[in-house]
Amino acid sequence: MSTGTPGPAQSPTQEEPTPNATQDVIQVADTDRLVLEYLKVRGYKAAEEVLSELMEDDASESNKASGSNTISADELISKIAVFASKPSRPGENVFKSTPNVLEGLVGMNNPTTIHDLIASLGAIGAEDILVSDPTDKHGGYRELEAWVEGSLDMYQPELRPVLFPIFCHFYLDLIQAGYKDAGRSFFNHFSPQLMTNHRPTLHHLSTLTLPAHVHNDDLAQRFKNEKYVVKMSRSGLSLLIGWLTEGSSGEGTGAGIGFSGETGKRGRSATLGVVNNHLRFDVTTASSTAVTPNSWEESTGLLSSLIPQNKNATTTLIDPRAFNASAGQLKLGPTPLSEDFQTAIKEQAMIDRELSTSYDFNYNIQPTVPGTIAPTTAELLPHPPTFKTLDVRREVERVRDERKRIRLEPSTLTAIGVNSPAAATYRASALPSVCVYTLHDVPEGAPCIEFSPDVSTMAAGFAESYIRLWSLKGEKLRGMRSDFQPSSVKDAASLRKLKEKGGTTTRKLIGHSGPVYSLSFDPLSGSAASPRHLLSSSADGTARLWSLDTMTNLVAYRGHQNPVWDVKWSPMGIYFATASRDRTARLWSTDRATALRIYAGHLSDVDCLDFHPNSLYLATGSSDWTARLWDVQRGSCVRVFIGHQGGLSTLAISPDGRYLASAGEDLAINLWDLGSGKRIKKMTGHKASIYSLTFSAESSLLVSGSADWTMRCWDVKGAGGLPNKQQNGAIVNGFSSADANKDEIDSSETTDLLATFPTKRTPIIKVEFTPRNLCLAAGPHLSPDQR
Amino acid sequence: MSKPVKLRGLAGQGAGVYKPEAIRDIAESLNVTGLPDAVASALASDVEYRIHQVVEEAARFMRHARRTTMTTDDIDQAFRVLNIEPLYGHSPHNPPTFRRSIPYPSNSTTGTLYFVEDEEIDFDRVLREEKITLPKPVSWTAHWLAVEGVQPLIPENPPAITKDTEEPSTLKSITGQPSTSALVTQSTAKGRQQNQQLVKQVLSRELQLYYARLTSSLLPPAPEDYIKRTAALASLRHDAGLQALLPYLVRWVAEGVVNTLRAGSQIEADGRVLEVLLDVTSALLDNSTLFVEPYLHQMLPPVLSILLHSSLPLTHSTHLRTSAAQTMSHLLTQHSTTYPSLAPRIMKTLLLALVSAGKSRGTREGAIRGLVGVGKDAIRKGLIEGHGAKVVAQESQMPGYSSLAETVTDAFAILFPRSKSPVPLNLADSSDAGVIRKLRESIGDLFTERMLYDSAWARGVLGEPSSDDMLI
Repeated sequence: MSTGTPGPAQSPTQEEPTPNATQDVIQVADTDRLVLEYLKVRGYKAAEEVLSELMEDDASESNKASGSNTISADELISKIAVFASKPSRPGENVFKSTPNVLEGLVGMNNPTTIHDLIASLGAIGAEDILVSDPTDKHGGYRELEAWVEGSLDMYQPELRPVLFPIFCHFYLDLIQAGYKDAGRSFFNHFSPQLMTNHRPTLHHLSTLTLPAHVHNDDLAQRFKNEKYVVKMSRSGLSLLIGWLTEGSSGEGTGAGIGFSGETGKRGRSATLGVVNNHLRFDVTTASSTAVTPNSWEESTGLLSSLIPQNKNATTTLIDPRAFNASAGQLKLGPTPLSEDFQTAIKEQAMIDRELSTSYDFNYNIQPTVPGTIAPTTAELLPHPPTFKTLDVRREVERVRDERKRIRLEPSTLTAIGVNSPAAATYRASALPSVCVYTLHDVPEGAPCIEFSPDVSTMAAGFAESYIRLWSLKGEKLRGMRSDFQPSSVKDAASLRKLKEKGGTTTRKLIGHSGPVYSLSFDPLSGSAASPRHLLSSSADGTARLWSLDTMTNLVAYRGHQNPVWDVKWSPMGIYFATASRDRTARLWSTDRATALRIYAGHLSDVDCLDFHPNSLYLATGSSDWTARLWDVQRGSCVRVFIGHQGGLSTLAISPDGRYLASAGEDLAINLWDLGSGKRIKKMTGHKASIYSLTFSAESSLLVSGSADWTMRCWDVKGAGGLPNKQQNGAIVNGFSSADANKDEIDSSETTDLLATFPTKRTPIIKVEFTPRNLCLAAGPHLSPDQR
Repeated sequence: MSKPVKLRGLAGQGAGVYKPEAIRDIAESLNVTGLPDAVASALASDVEYRIHQVVEEAARFMRHARRTTMTTDDIDQAFRVLNIEPLYGHSPHNPPTFRRSIPYPSNSTTGTLYFVEDEEIDFDRVLREEKITLPKPVSWTAHWLAVEGVQPLIPENPPAITKDTEEPSTLKSITGQPSTSALVTQSTAKGRQQNQQLVKQVLSRELQLYYARLTSSLLPPAPEDYIKRTAALASLRHDAGLQALLPYLVRWVAEGVVNTLRAGSQIEADGRVLEVLLDVTSALLDNSTLFVEPYLHQMLPPVLSILLHSSLPLTHSTHLRTSAAQTMSHLLTQHSTTYPSLAPRIMKTLLLALVSAGKSRGTREGAIRGLVGVGKDAIRKGLIEGHGAKVVAQESQMPGYSSLAETVTDAFAILFPRSKSPVPLNLADSSDAGVIRKLRESIGDLFTERMLYDSAWARGVLGEPSSDDMLI
């Protein structure tokens, strides 16, 4: 391209001289004349003048430059392609960033078709005016929907996800252009089909009705500025592109309706515009039949902002799997114990052993989990180098708990089928015993309930800003007197004398100035003794440390500007983490008033968090529908888990450190493999928000508590999936639609749901396994007259 | 089943909840008149968006507070984090009670209006009440939700109802049997199959066989099966020992009627089906060995449905309504003594069907026939005191409604028999003129015209002593 391109005065003028610039003078006779004629007809006088000038310039220059006088049509097109894909004004011209379209154009070999090409390019100038016509979006979407519905069954699962982003963009475009009523009718017309999968997003979009809303809304801006990733197989993509450009799919039955007429063409180009500017296809080599119904959840959406991007990388990652693979291997093994510590534990165990039972000296003090790498002591968070008596007692107790544990093996139950008659005999070995602590007379509900690790104390945080403690053993909870001289305290006995007289089995801790959203008992004493500290987080933006010896508040950790949704001790005490509405999670140590680390990256509230058992990693769940795993020390995100279709409400990491279970507002529980970051399965069955998750000590059983007044047990190792449709279909046939509906509800329960335990009007807001595999659950009883 | 209701955002209807009229009302209250439509509509959209924003934020607080109902507290918290001054004076402990009203009852297009009711507090009464009870402090109880995977049957746990029994199955409520069988069959047995499962458990084999044969010989009603059907009905009418089957038969009839009427195909076969079902009902009522009373509330709706349904198959409609009215009258005479509220309740239903606006001709006719079936008092109450006759008179102008007037006239004839030698009302006579005026007032012009020729009838219908009686 020896000559300069003319100034970008107008879209058509910019495009049309292009062939001329690349064209050899010799061919002026046939092609450029056509262009000139075309411009004349169209009335582009300025362009015409520029073109004729350039033709003269070219004639002189190209005579010098090139010996050969002909350029093949292919070359010409490829040059146009370069030109056309120059992003001078992105979003203005649909053909600019359309290598795919140009691929299709390469087929045209003779110069006369260039005329057609120019004609179609020229039409776009007019289209800029017409693009705001609301009816073409309506028509375009209807055609697309009809085409997707009419496509072959094997392609439907991968073509269907394309509908949603196009719908959203059309709707936003209409709203942004100020067509409120057109947007509303478009929404009402087409949203019902998308409701099943995208209810939350659609509801949010439906609230946007003015252009200003679109400008201010986070989600709308993400739609505008980010590419929506859709996973597709190569054949699926080529079908789509083929249909968009040709107007027919080339795929048999009912699919070849395509666009017709001028309105159809505009509708198509509107669709094409969205596909080009806002969609990104993640092309897989996998055949389209291998796509499972739920896999789109993991690879579809506005992913680029959810996935942490490498600063040095030139390309943006759009596949969470690619990121998870690039983030390196995780050390998921259990915490190492020092040699000294181990011998101390063994000695203590010898002293403590019960006479009746022979103690197994070779018992596994240092547990190992196959298939994981254990971290070294140096990699752990810094802890005091020496160990205390309490530490030894805790570890001894842990080993004892492990020995006395009720073994739960749900896989045997799944193997023979939960409902088969033989299952009754296996239930006892598969399912836990559950003890429910029901709170009565709670007017506003209790946002959190927590059990101490030794199950001696229960704490509940209330919306009325206070925390209440109960001794579950019936002991009196006594604080310290405040009227004493520090000099009079000499030894433990004199300190004991300072305890309050009397007291009750329950106690109120007052200090917060907003609803208390989360509590955590310190894990230092384990199941050997009652805990000495309690952490709480509240809507007032603070986390507070309470001493259970004095029953007073010790520290208020300020740093978050917004409500703190969750707080958790690290598995070895001293450190703790908080999750807040300000989109960050923070790591604190109890002896410092400021945060040690800030984990930023979530796009919305961080709602819940959990430490990995070896305290190297921290998992957070957010309202941006993702869960992330952070390296606690480095503060970097090492895994991102995409797949929920709603904000996350709770999550739990299995005691063996290999799995993450997360529950979301989409009422599903997802099980993730931490090592690979892949989703293992999706468990559904709950009918309301899931409030709490916990793994049994062997990590074989997952228990969930929910607002639907039930507690459910899930098999972790089972394959899961929805029950076989065939089985139900045979029964459903010939019955009324009411029965069929009921069937659908039933079939939302995946096969790995082992048991459902309903309660009497008690939402289960906390479930927890004791170290010996007894399941504890807690919730407030809602009296029927209460709203 | 009272389950926690999930808050569902109805996105489709979500648009346009806040009406521009509301903006205009507010503007007027602020002395801004003549707000352009475009401004009002844009403001309404924006207000709605802001409300959604606040509610979306409040929903997070609600979820984190582990509740499923949003309270004013959540809204306040949302305001705080959005940097808006909270609305003071609302406490979640004492939620405001909204009352609904329709501002202009005549104009159905205006939406319903919600307003907070101002509670009037009597200071004297408050001051007199010395006792202020503190709410009970929070307490806890513990119980076993499950022991080794089995839920113990203790009062703290909900009764062992599996998901299948959650469906509103009347059959189970009839049998009153806790369906322990459902545990085994929960995943497979659905709908009718499951009902049959239960039949097998409660009923003997013989009765099951009988039930199957009986129902199959009654329906579908083929003309050639006439003898079989008569035999089946006779068996129902006279056989002892059917008590155990009664709930199933009642349910069968009810389902049959509902399905047939819902289909609304108006073909002749449907008419025959309904006929047979009515026969079954009356046969059950006739059977002196059956104790029907507990099931009356289930037997009546199908009968009333046939009586009052707007579009019965044309060929059978008159016959069906007549026999339904007869069945109902039969039921009433048998049971109104032991069930005193029965007649008034039926009366109420019939009156509603007769006088409320917008009912079809069939419903009206059925209602009149029903009133005839209930008795003379009912006719008087419905047609004269309830102004049913007036309503019919008005409607009889419409094409196709003339037969309705005949039905009413017949009903009047039943109320008071026409005299054999009618003496016309004399307009000149003052007492007769009074009767005519009264007639016009109570039953309308149309029927007054029809009664002019028979003074005794007219007086009888009005409930006045006839002039003949006075003479004697």
